[in-house]
Amino acid sequence: MAKVYHDLRSFLETLEAEGQLVRIKEEVDPEQIGAAGRAAADSKSAPALFFEKVKGYKYPVVTNVHGSWENHALMMGMPKNTPVKDQFHELNRRWDLYPVKPKILAPKDAKCKEVVIEKGINLFDVLSLYRINDQDGGFYISKASVVTADPEFPDDFDKQNVGTYRIQVKDKDLIGIQPLPFHDIGIQLSKAEAEGKPLPVAIALGNDPITTFMASTPIMYNQNEYEFVGALNDGVPAEITTADLYPNLYIPAHAEVILEGYIKPRVREVEGPFGEFPGSYSGCRLQCEIVIERITHRENPIFENLYLGLPWTEIDYLMALNTSVPLYKQLKDSFPEIQAVNAMYTHGIGTIISTKVRLGGMGKAVAMRLLSTPHGMAYAKVIIVVDEFVDPFNLEQVMWALTTRVRPADHVSVIENCPGMPLDPSSVPAGMHSKLIIDATTPVAPEPNPRDVELLKPHADAPKWAEYIKKYQNEQN
Amino acid sequence: MKECPRCKGETRIMVKSPVGDAWEVYVCNTCSYSWRSTETPNILPQFTLNDEKIANMQIIPPIPPLKK
Repeated sequence: MAKVYHDLRSFLETLEAEGQLVRIKEEVDPEQIGAAGRAAADSKSAPALFFEKVKGYKYPVVTNVHGSWENHALMMGMPKNTPVKDQFHELNRRWDLYPVKPKILAPKDAKCKEVVIEKGINLFDVLSLYRINDQDGGFYISKASVVTADPEFPDDFDKQNVGTYRIQVKDKDLIGIQPLPFHDIGIQLSKAEAEGKPLPVAIALGNDPITTFMASTPIMYNQNEYEFVGALNDGVPAEITTADLYPNLYIPAHAEVILEGYIKPRVREVEGPFGEFPGSYSGCRLQCEIVIERITHRENPIFENLYLGLPWTEIDYLMALNTSVPLYKQLKDSFPEIQAVNAMYTHGIGTIISTKVRLGGMGKAVAMRLLSTPHGMAYAKVIIVVDEFVDPFNLEQVMWALTTRVRPADHVSVIENCPGMPLDPSSVPAGMHSKLIIDATTPVAPEPNPRDVELLKPHADAPKWAEYIKKYQNEQN
Repeated sequence: MKECPRCKGETRIMVKSPVGDAWEVYVCNTCSYSWRSTETPNILPQFTLNDEKIANMQIIPPIPPLKK
């Protein structure tokens, strides 16, 4: 059984024991945390950074908790040097354990309620907030898990959503949020606003690592994130409890901090800019605001936040394999021939699909299927389809397929006037885009392939020599 | 009170540091830009705002029509 974490603190202990957490004991200026986050992302094995003392604040900050393949493996209870492809396959295996019903704890047993603040809400009393990138319009909460329900079905657990959205602190008890129309929260907000009603929210900060991971994973609207947390924890149920003001909302029981409040209906105010995951600032827009009515937290809460900059930084690890696996599952449901999906590039804006090809044109059809998934519809923009023997995680192999399989006049398609990811700076207007499909699979009938070739195959004795080389290298080490 | 470094609007003190007299945070009443007294805001020209820019900003997400 893999090691499982029910809170952030126990995971930080593992990171520290494994040499994947750097503890900064001296007092730091708050705006140094973003600078350190960039440096962590660029450093060898990219450890988490724990700031014990932040000038002017009561509590510590941790950043880059998910920011390396080592930390990603440890999150899954695997050895820290586990190769990425092996992590993908393990994630795939655990994915099929869904649904694992969560364990619902009584509020009195939930550590996230150790301290309750009902009056005089001041986010700065609890969270050591700071500017992440210098042109950000304010202090951002970049790693929160936001819980909302469907106003039409408020008690439907499956339709409840746990998602990560950028949050700008606008006052001691007021924050801005960015729900996009194609996000699950966007669907729920639209229903509430059509009725002129506020949308209740519970925001969980500093969670066990798999809950945060699932909050940034694109799953279907009626799939519940907590049931996936249990699956990805290899069958160990997530521990959740109810929010106080909105008891139909379920929150991680041992989160560091819970903010409860509501989205103001039919109100949009200036938000941004914010340094975003495509590695550039998004401009200012008129966006939603949330009034915070109640805070609960653990004793001495740790503020967990992430740095994001020119890829790769921590955020890229939170939208890499967890973007690839659900897209793989959704595509494979329609086409069993799909072998693997690599959607690790800028949250799946760039995606590579490996598939067997049953009939002529199927590579293109598979790409179209990606464009009709809830996530792929807006995000996927550059889609490369390769044969089943090409490993989509091996970019040298993918480049080989592009250079030797593609007839540009026949296999490159541009589809105009589609949904786009507004934060992609090449999306004009923001939210619209064209799509590029490159079918790099080998043509099969009825598509003609007049110059069929015989691929080079490894010599039968190659594995023997691979063993010889490996043994020699091991002896040298 | 200080002028907003981004839109020249009126600002207020949002909060003072919870520990000691280390800093205070200012926020603009018009555009919500905020900054700490220990920072020196340096807004790039493309990120400065005025009433016209604010009036023409994209609304995200769009507000649906009210159900009758």
